Amino acid sequence: MSDVVGFVDLHYSPSLGALTARRPMGTVTFLGRYGIMDFTLSNFSNSGINDILILAKNYAYSIHSHIQNGQAWINNTKAGYIRTAINEKSINDPTFNTDIGNINANLEQIDLFNTQYFVIAPVHFLTSMDFRPIIDEHRRSGASVTMVYTRVDNSQGKFRNCTSIKLDKSRKIVKSANPHNSAPSIDVSLDTFIISKDALLDLIKMQKNISTLLSISDLINYCINNHLLTINAYRHTNRVFPIFSLHDYVDVSMQLLDHQTRMELFLDWWPIYTTTNNTPPSLYGPKAEVSNSFIANGAIIKGKVTNSIISRDVTIEEGAEVKDSIIFTRSLVGKDVKLSNAVCDKDVKIKQVKELSGSDDEFLVIAKGVTV
Amino acid sequence: MTNSLIAVVLAGGKGTRLYQLTKRVAKPAVEFAAKYRLIDFSLSNCVNSGINTIGVLTQYESTFLNSYIGNGEKWGLNGLHSLMTAIAPKQTDEGASWYKGTADAIAQNIEWIDSMYPENVLILSGDHIYKTTFNDMFWRHTTNDADVTISVIEVDPKEAPRFGIMVADDDDHITEFQEKPKNPKSNLASMGIYMFKWKTLRKLLLEDMKDENSSHDFGNDIIPKMLERNMKVFCYRYNGYWRDVGTIPSLHAANMDIIDGKFNLNSIRDDDRIYTQDTYSLPHYVGKRGTSITSSIANQGAVILGKVNYCVISSDVMIDYDTVCDHCVIMSNVHIGKNSKVRNAIIAPGVWIGDNVSINQDGDEIILVASNMESQVQ
Repeated sequence: MSDVVGFVDLHYSPSLGALTARRPMGTVTFLGRYGIMDFTLSNFSNSGINDILILAKNYAYSIHSHIQNGQAWINNTKAGYIRTAINEKSINDPTFNTDIGNINANLEQIDLFNTQYFVIAPVHFLTSMDFRPIIDEHRRSGASVTMVYTRVDNSQGKFRNCTSIKLDKSRKIVKSANPHNSAPSIDVSLDTFIISKDALLDLIKMQKNISTLLSISDLINYCINNHLLTINAYRHTNRVFPIFSLHDYVDVSMQLLDHQTRMELFLDWWPIYTTTNNTPPSLYGPKAEVSNSFIANGAIIKGKVTNSIISRDVTIEEGAEVKDSIIFTRSLVGKDVKLSNAVCDKDVKIKQVKELSGSDDEFLVIAKGVTV
Repeated sequence: MTNSLIAVVLAGGKGTRLYQLTKRVAKPAVEFAAKYRLIDFSLSNCVNSGINTIGVLTQYESTFLNSYIGNGEKWGLNGLHSLMTAIAPKQTDEGASWYKGTADAIAQNIEWIDSMYPENVLILSGDHIYKTTFNDMFWRHTTNDADVTISVIEVDPKEAPRFGIMVADDDDHITEFQEKPKNPKSNLASMGIYMFKWKTLRKLLLEDMKDENSSHDFGNDIIPKMLERNMKVFCYRYNGYWRDVGTIPSLHAANMDIIDGKFNLNSIRDDDRIYTQDTYSLPHYVGKRGTSITSSIANQGAVILGKVNYCVISSDVMIDYDTVCDHCVIMSNVHIGKNSKVRNAIIAPGVWIGDNVSINQDGDEIILVASNMESQVQ
C-alpha cells in the first residue's frame, strides 16, 4: 500500500519501572526474543504497509539498535523505509513532547503528495492486527478517522486505563470516556487510528488552537464529544493483551507459556518478525531440568528452570534453580543460585548472592548490568 | 582496485551416500546442528576472514542453493565492495556443459574470476564442517610467495588411505602428493582447501582444459603437475575440528560432537559466529508434564513435550507428550506424535511420525527416517 504511512506511537507507552529506565517500552525484551514493538511493526509489514515512521519520545539509540537497518520488517528496501522521528524541540520539555507535535515537526519526512492515509498504533496492546480490511472500510466510508476498538471483559479491570466508547446503531461513536462503569463487557479504544490526510492536517491545526499538551488520542476524543469530524469505529476481534505495568508485562509473558493462549496472539500466517542475532541453538547439559519454559537461542542450560522465560545467550549454571522468572539477554545465573519471581534485565550476573526472590505480587527487578 | 583474496566455494556435490537427505537438495544444503546448513560454515569462515567476494559454484539440484545464497545478505555480504553470487553451469556460444571436475568448475568461470581482479583465489568445499579464519593461512601463503597453499590436517595413519596425502618438509614445502595411497608416507591429509596465486592457476587451468587425458581435478591433475614443475607448493597445518561428513553415521556423529563439546558453537566472540537463515518462530518451548531435555541442543520454534536425551532438535520440530527420543538428529519441521520411541536415528526434514511408533529400539546402527510413519494402535 504505497499511499499509507504507518506510525508506531511510542509517546504514551506506560512505564515498566526499572525496565524502561533507559529504554522505551517498545524495545523491552519480550518472550526471550522479541522487542515489544515487534508486534506493531509486524502488523504493519504483514498488512503491506511499507513506509513506517517510529514516533520516538526518547532513547533513540535503543530503538536504532533494535531495528538496525529495518530490513526485518520491510518488504521492499528501495520503496519502503523505517525511520525514527523525534521532536528535537520538545526533547527537554516532556509535557509538550506529544505524538502529534512529533508528526508536525517531521512532516517534511513524509511524502504528503502520495500519501492518503495514516495508520497510528501504539505498542502496549499486543495483538495480531490486519490493517488491510480496516483501511478498506475506512476508504469506503469516506470518514475522516476510523478508531479501532475491541470488546473486552471488564471484570478484571485490565483495561481500566483505556478509553471506553459508546456506539450508536450505525456504528458511529457517540461518546468516549474512562471506563468507570460496571458493565461486564465494554468497548475500548485501542488508541489505533486510520486518519485521512486532510483530517491529520486538521488535527495538527486543532492542537495548536486548543492545547499543545494534547495527544492524537485526546484530540480524537475531543472531536467525538464535540461532534467534529466524522469518526467511525472498527471492531478488532483478535485477542488483545494490554500491558500497562510491570505486573501486566510479567502476567502476559507467563500467560503465553500456555499453548492455547499463545495461539491467540501468534496466528498462523501472521509471523512476528524481529532482528536476527546469529545465535547458535540452545545447549542443554546432562543435568538440565526444564519445565514449562521458553528457551531462546544461544542459551546454555545446565541447571533447573521452571515456569520461566530465558532469553538469548543466557547461562544457567549447574545447581542453579530459576523459577517463575524472566531472564533477559546475556545474563548469568551462577552455580547453586536460587532465583524466583524475578526479572533480570540484560547482562545481569548473579554469582555471590545464593538466594534471590520476589513475590507473586511484587516481582524482584534486577537492573541492567548488575552483578550480585 | 585489485582484490587480494577472493573465495570460490564448490557446492555442486550430490552426496549420494546421504540418500534421501540429498534427494531434493545438494549436499551443501543438508541441515546441520539444529539451525544451519553445511554451506553456512564455509561461507561464514570466509566472512569472518574478511573475504568480501565469494562465488558459489552450484550444479546438482541448484535451484534451492541459488535462492538460499541470494545476494549474500544472510552472511552480511550485501555491503559496499562485497559480492556473493551463485553460479550454475551455463550454456554459452560454444555449447553447454556440466562441470567435469573441481578444476573444470573453476576453469569454466575464469571470466567471472577475472572480472573480480583477484591476486589470490581461495577454493573451498561447500560441505565441510569447521570454524576458522583464513587470515593466518593467507599470511603464510604470501610470505612464502607460494603458488598454492593447501590446508592439511593430521589424520590417524590407519585412516590415511582414504585421503589425498601430502608429504612435506619442515618448512611446510610439499614434496610429494599421494592420492588415496595404500602405503602413505605421511599422515597429512588434504582438506580440499586451496589458496592459489590467480595468475599461476589461470595458466594451469587453460592448459588443463585442453588436456584430453586430464580428469580436471585439483588433487589428481593440477597439484601433481605443479609438483612436477617444481612450483612453490606449500601446506598449511590446520589443527581444529574439521569434518567432511559423507554418510548417515558420520553426519549423526558430527551432530553429537556439538552436544559433547568437541565442536563448540556457543562462542562469546563475534568473529567466529556462523551465519544462516533465521526462522520467524518463537523461542522453543519445553513442556510441563513429564517433559525432560538433557544433553541436547534445540533451535527456536521447537515444542518439546516428551523426553529428550542426546538429541539435536531443529527449527519448528514438535515432540509430543510421552514420546522418548534418544541419540537422534531431528531435522526441521518434523512432527513426532504421542507415546512414540525413537533411537539412533536421523529424521529428515518435514517427516511426520504418528503416535505409538517405535523406531530402531534395538539397533546400534544409525538409521535415516525419510518417510512419514502412521500412528500405531497400542
